[in-house]
Amino acid sequence: MLSRHADSCFWIGRYVERTEAAARMMDVHYHSALETTRQSAAGTLSRRWSSLLAISGSAQLYTQRYESENDRDIFQFFLFDLEHPSSILATWQKARENARAVREQLSSEMWESLNTFYLNLKEWDVDRVIAMPHVFLCMVKDASHLFQGILNRTMLMGEARDWLDTGRFLERAEQTGRLLDVKFHDLLDNQEAPAPAGNMPLDLHGWIAVLKSVSAFEMYHKTHQEGILPEHVVDFLVLNPRFPASVRHGIGRVEGCLHRIAGHAEDSPGSEPERLAGHLRADLTYMKAAEILQTGLHPFLDSVQIRCNQIGDAIRAAYLSY
Amino acid sequence: MSLFHNYQTEGFYDEMFLPNGSPRPHYKQLYERLANMPLEEYRRRCQLADLTLVNQGITFLVYGDERGTEKPWPFDLIPRIIPANEWNYIERGLTQRLTALNLFTHDIYHEQHILRDKAVPADLVLGAAHFRHEFMGADPPGGIYVHICGSDLIRDRQGSYYVLEDNLRTPSGVSYMLENRIILTRVFPHLFNNLNIQSVDHYTTRLMQNLRALAPEHRRESPVVVLLTPGVYNSAYYEHTFLAQQLGIELVEGRDLFVDDCVVYMKTTHGPQRVDVIYRRVDDDYLDPLMFRPDSLLGVPGLVNAYRSGSVALANSIGTGVADDKAVYAYTENIVRYYLGEEPVLPIVETYLGSNEKHLQHILANLDKLVVKSANESGGYGMLMGPSATPQERALFAEKIKASPRSYIAQPLIDISRAPAFTEDHFEGRHIDLRPYILYGSDGITIVPGSLTRVAMRKGSYVVNSSQGGGSKDTWVLAEDTQMGVQTQC
Repeated sequence: MLSRHADSCFWIGRYVERTEAAARMMDVHYHSALETTRQSAAGTLSRRWSSLLAISGSAQLYTQRYESENDRDIFQFFLFDLEHPSSILATWQKARENARAVREQLSSEMWESLNTFYLNLKEWDVDRVIAMPHVFLCMVKDASHLFQGILNRTMLMGEARDWLDTGRFLERAEQTGRLLDVKFHDLLDNQEAPAPAGNMPLDLHGWIAVLKSVSAFEMYHKTHQEGILPEHVVDFLVLNPRFPASVRHGIGRVEGCLHRIAGHAEDSPGSEPERLAGHLRADLTYMKAAEILQTGLHPFLDSVQIRCNQIGDAIRAAYLSY
Repeated sequence: MSLFHNYQTEGFYDEMFLPNGSPRPHYKQLYERLANMPLEEYRRRCQLADLTLVNQGITFLVYGDERGTEKPWPFDLIPRIIPANEWNYIERGLTQRLTALNLFTHDIYHEQHILRDKAVPADLVLGAAHFRHEFMGADPPGGIYVHICGSDLIRDRQGSYYVLEDNLRTPSGVSYMLENRIILTRVFPHLFNNLNIQSVDHYTTRLMQNLRALAPEHRRESPVVVLLTPGVYNSAYYEHTFLAQQLGIELVEGRDLFVDDCVVYMKTTHGPQRVDVIYRRVDDDYLDPLMFRPDSLLGVPGLVNAYRSGSVALANSIGTGVADDKAVYAYTENIVRYYLGEEPVLPIVETYLGSNEKHLQHILANLDKLVVKSANESGGYGMLMGPSATPQERALFAEKIKASPRSYIAQPLIDISRAPAFTEDHFEGRHIDLRPYILYGSDGITIVPGSLTRVAMRKGSYVVNSSQGGGSKDTWVLAEDTQMGVQTQC
């Protein structure tokens, strides 16, 4: 297929996934900060958003554009600000633009779901959202799921679909890694704070929030029944091959797509993207969570992030530049 | 017009308002947020909460409606707030109480010291409907009989707390405590700002830890824990599915299990799998047709013997109903003194027993002032609200009491506290109670800082049971360092 078409499909997948990740993060972050035991030691409103700005890597842009970290501005920034490239409106708009360029590659229902929700988004503004953020954020999540469901059901099992999936799963793997990185950092910070009232360590609620933000709370308990331990959370979100939002699962799916696109068998990867994805997948397959924590979660997740970027770069170099 | 316009406390203890009509300090912020809210906005949030409940299937069927109309569980959005000092008191009282009741249960099924010392009448205990003589001498793991307890507390006109009853068999409602919180954060996030409300979301994690620790020692590395439900027709079935999902365990019915050589297995696609711990939500009576009711299809033949052999653990244990019997209740303060040698922290309501000749005369002579309850029923069934009953109803009930005095107890009507609830287009006082959930594990007693607050939604009604038209509220326990009257910012 045309490089240009493949590029658009890849980015549709990425942007839809990115939109969903932003909605999930905002939802869990906002609602879990309402209860006291999850607030930072200072307990101030302003601090409750700083980790979110850090995850998205947009703290600097935010301070340039807004004066203080209040709920309304934060929602405006993450939801509707088109100057913010990762805002929900901006990413969905880019998904739609890409889809418009390759409409004939997609099923018409896919295009329609992207377009309908884009028009729907334009009807909203921050004041309407802030009265009940959950309603809006849930709707965004549902729009992403609807699109992905239509994709699964209507699209030919061919190259265009593999490009969409490559984008979706590479983005998901990166988002989960980043989420864990920043939240882990938060939780370590908090451990030095005085213990709050109640009979559970402070960070338990933090870990519950991390799991819930990727819909992992219930599935985690099916896999790890010993309770919520940092090592097991890392194992589940990074290394678990069967959980759809884990880094390992995402990279595995990317690898599969790349093999099919290249027409290579699994055991004889012929292209640089395949080699990089396969290498990362192998590391994630044979690594143990305890080893990761021993050498430091942050450096590890950092290296995963770099390797995901390298996979993206290699894909662009090998297939997408036109 | 404010939604609180013309709000009357009518001489009751109101959780939100002082007798002079101004809000109590810990309710001040919430009051200000609600007082100025337009009716339409409040209604919109109610509708959204209802929609969430319907979508999640937290509903009940309207009986007699052939189209199978489902109504959302009545959830009143105004939270009930408990300040830290009150909560500490409740926590202390309930910890003491459950410790004593557990020692009592152990004693009753072993040496029965307390009966020989006559601190509690023996015939009362041994004649209790839920006393299980089949279970004498059995030893549950760690000596713990009651792993999960839901105690009902009420407050009188002065605001003093009383324990009204303990639910030591299969207490339900904890899913509403957890769901109410989630729904309220979603539909009414601004109410929470700056209030230092303690989270409750570690309840299931804590419960799971306790359940796993019950497994036989050699299986404790990775025990198989299941939740046993009577099935989809049970009124608490929603809660069973919710808990199984949150705990990450299998939800099983009796027909999914079998016992072989005193070991319990579940039938899986990969053959029999051994079960180590059963969080059972099936009553004793139906648990094992070989031991209790032979006609029960809900149970597992041989389960009780398997339990006695120690190969499987049950939570709660068998026979705990002897300690939450309504007649034994009258002696629970004695029970605390007897086993712990200390005064009870939380008082109980004065109780007259039908089995006691003097009490019986008092009951029959004062039916118009008393609440009479059947000792063996729960859920608000089989009771007489003396003050509001007609003379005919009272006469009819007097006959029932005379026919079977042991089955009845009576208590003075306590004017239980009220809290504002939403009715059509404004707030009105409604009677409420409080059900905290108490977990007893090998490392002690934990009470998650939250509760189910039940509301008698009908005007003037004192009956909060869900089977009798009761609703519920989210219950906020404030953290120690809460500052009252901080300026709000949303």
